[in-house]
Amino acid sequence: MSRGWAWGLSTAGVGAFFVILIGLPFWWVLSSAFKAPQEIIARRPTMVPESFTLQHFEKLLSASAYPTYLANSMLVATAATLITLVLALPAAYAFFRMDFPGRERLYRAILIAYAFPTVVVLIPLYGMFAAIGLVDSLVALIIVDVAFALPFSVWMLRSFLATVPKEIEEAAEIDGAGTLTLMVRIMLPLVAPGIASVGIFAFITSWTEYLFASVLIVSDSNRTIPVGFSGIIGQYQVDWGLLLAGSTLAILPVVALFALIGRWFVAGLTEGAVK
Amino acid sequence: MRLMTTAVLAATALTAVTLVARPAAAQPVELMLWHMEQPPHRVARVQELINSFNAAHPDIVVTQEPQNWGEIYAKAPAAIAAGTGPDLLFAIPDFTPILKDIGALTSVADFVAELDAEHDFVDSTVAAYSYDGGVWAVPLYNMAMSLWYRKSVFEEAGIAVPTTWPEWKAAAEALSNDETWGIGLPANRQLYTDQTVYDFMVNNGASELYNEDGTIRFDNPQTVEAYDFYAQMQAMSPPDSTSWTWGEAEACFSSRACAMILQFTVITTYDTQAEGDPEDLGVAPIPHAEGQDESYTIAYPNAVMLLSQDEAKREAAETFIRYLLEPENYGRFLNMEPGLFMPVTADGATAESFWNDPLAQKYRSQIEVMIENAQNGMLFGFTSGRTFPSIAAISAQNILAETLQRIVVDGESPADAVAAGQARMMETIE
Repeated sequence: MSRGWAWGLSTAGVGAFFVILIGLPFWWVLSSAFKAPQEIIARRPTMVPESFTLQHFEKLLSASAYPTYLANSMLVATAATLITLVLALPAAYAFFRMDFPGRERLYRAILIAYAFPTVVVLIPLYGMFAAIGLVDSLVALIIVDVAFALPFSVWMLRSFLATVPKEIEEAAEIDGAGTLTLMVRIMLPLVAPGIASVGIFAFITSWTEYLFASVLIVSDSNRTIPVGFSGIIGQYQVDWGLLLAGSTLAILPVVALFALIGRWFVAGLTEGAVK
Repeated sequence: MRLMTTAVLAATALTAVTLVARPAAAQPVELMLWHMEQPPHRVARVQELINSFNAAHPDIVVTQEPQNWGEIYAKAPAAIAAGTGPDLLFAIPDFTPILKDIGALTSVADFVAELDAEHDFVDSTVAAYSYDGGVWAVPLYNMAMSLWYRKSVFEEAGIAVPTTWPEWKAAAEALSNDETWGIGLPANRQLYTDQTVYDFMVNNGASELYNEDGTIRFDNPQTVEAYDFYAQMQAMSPPDSTSWTWGEAEACFSSRACAMILQFTVITTYDTQAEGDPEDLGVAPIPHAEGQDESYTIAYPNAVMLLSQDEAKREAAETFIRYLLEPENYGRFLNMEPGLFMPVTADGATAESFWNDPLAQKYRSQIEVMIENAQNGMLFGFTSGRTFPSIAAISAQNILAETLQRIVVDGESPADAVAAGQARMMETIE
């Protein structure tokens, strides 16, 4: 009994340590976004704010194009996530269930996409997009984000599909289900945690993408958060309040997404890990 | 009937001739300006100037697209190659050679000479863009580093403003205590450290990175002494200064955690994030080594490049630049960031539009010192009338800062670090 008590206490202690370790920087960013400028840069950081102001948020939302960047990022990340999911599921199902020549080799080959530093393809891609008139277009960013998220998404989803007992598929086939019906009506609901995991992966990949967004987008009205925000905070002179307010707003959509489907994401991680 | 038909035909022909002969309504010349002044208030000020220019010149329409310094080195060549580049692009000296090398630039020597006759450019700002038989950009504004301190802190400690290195070191030591770092100097592998290191080099007679024949002369006793002294001073800086950029140094100074810093300006930050007392804010030339006659500093003459090959667009671009440099507009342009951007023309330095800004009025004495400091401005690779475009590669890899890190972070001796720096530079420009 006493061992159980000690075990619980030490578990709670370790848990609290990691919560503080991970949570403290986030707390400092969130709380400092509401502090007066002098308190933000004070010699001794204050963990509990001694002042309160909304001036940084007001300035961010009224004097900069931050709302536009936010809307662009939402559009690009949402579209990239949906397209990735729509393409990844049938591809993963094909790699998992269908027999075709070179299936295993092709399955391994798709990860070659990650073998090269992305900067290597930056200039060629710019040339290609320029040739088809997609420079300075959000469509270009969606295409790039999908292209980079898709290979890993296919790998992840195939692992999730492998956790579904074959008997379920066989039963559906006996009942006359075709390939499409099997995939959409049988497999899709069963790998929902995997879909959530891939969705979050694709969304965060797109939400934080900087390199291509910085080069392919020219006009301020088409910038996404990572690029637009880096310009707002300045080079020689940093407006720390603006930086913290922008960071706070930038993490909200990701936090909201995790809050909605985070439970599935965690379940998906563990399920996908074990066949 | 025949007569009527003839009349109708004649009228139709006359109408057709009239329509053909009437000149088509002239389309305004469209200019795209890319600059890297992204903070919202700077974008807004540039837009104000563009709006008033467009209103006064109905035949020209200028639009701006702010870009980021971090990407422009890759983005501009790619955009130019794809035919989607701007007509006007802001530059610093080590950016221009990159575009010149890909054939994107045409000399603006005649245009600069015309502007010089009218406004009188600071010579060093034109020199930084003059090489290979041409002038490749039009100087627009200058930035020069100075030593920033608080007068009250110096007075309290009984310290005079240092002018030489021994005085500077003594001041930093005297001001170091449990609450305050004597000085805030960066040691990051980043441009800010390149700049502050060069401040030490130019104040010890080591301003030249190149011999006359273009070979590297970085490894010399003056450079080694400059690095040695920098490392001694840097030891009195906060431990996180090995990852600093400009903003962290300003925050350190504004919060009173650092007694002195080297910066282009702290005026806006000091005014909005610190006490904002103009009487207490001190700015001085950067101290020099004993044996040197006067203080020098790193200076960045920013400029604008004309990229369009189209004659009408070039003319329109020149009209726009003339407009910006007119004293009644130039001060408004410089004050997109009051206290940071210094005039590059003689009439700009006295322009009412420059000194009318409330912040410029409040910190006038500091700005006057900054302008004076800028007169002794130098930039690595662009000194003594000799310009070596290969400096762009050395600058891009932050080799000056990398050399400092060998001393401060890796513990190498200044002599060994500078020798390694020389080797890196030679390898880079090969």
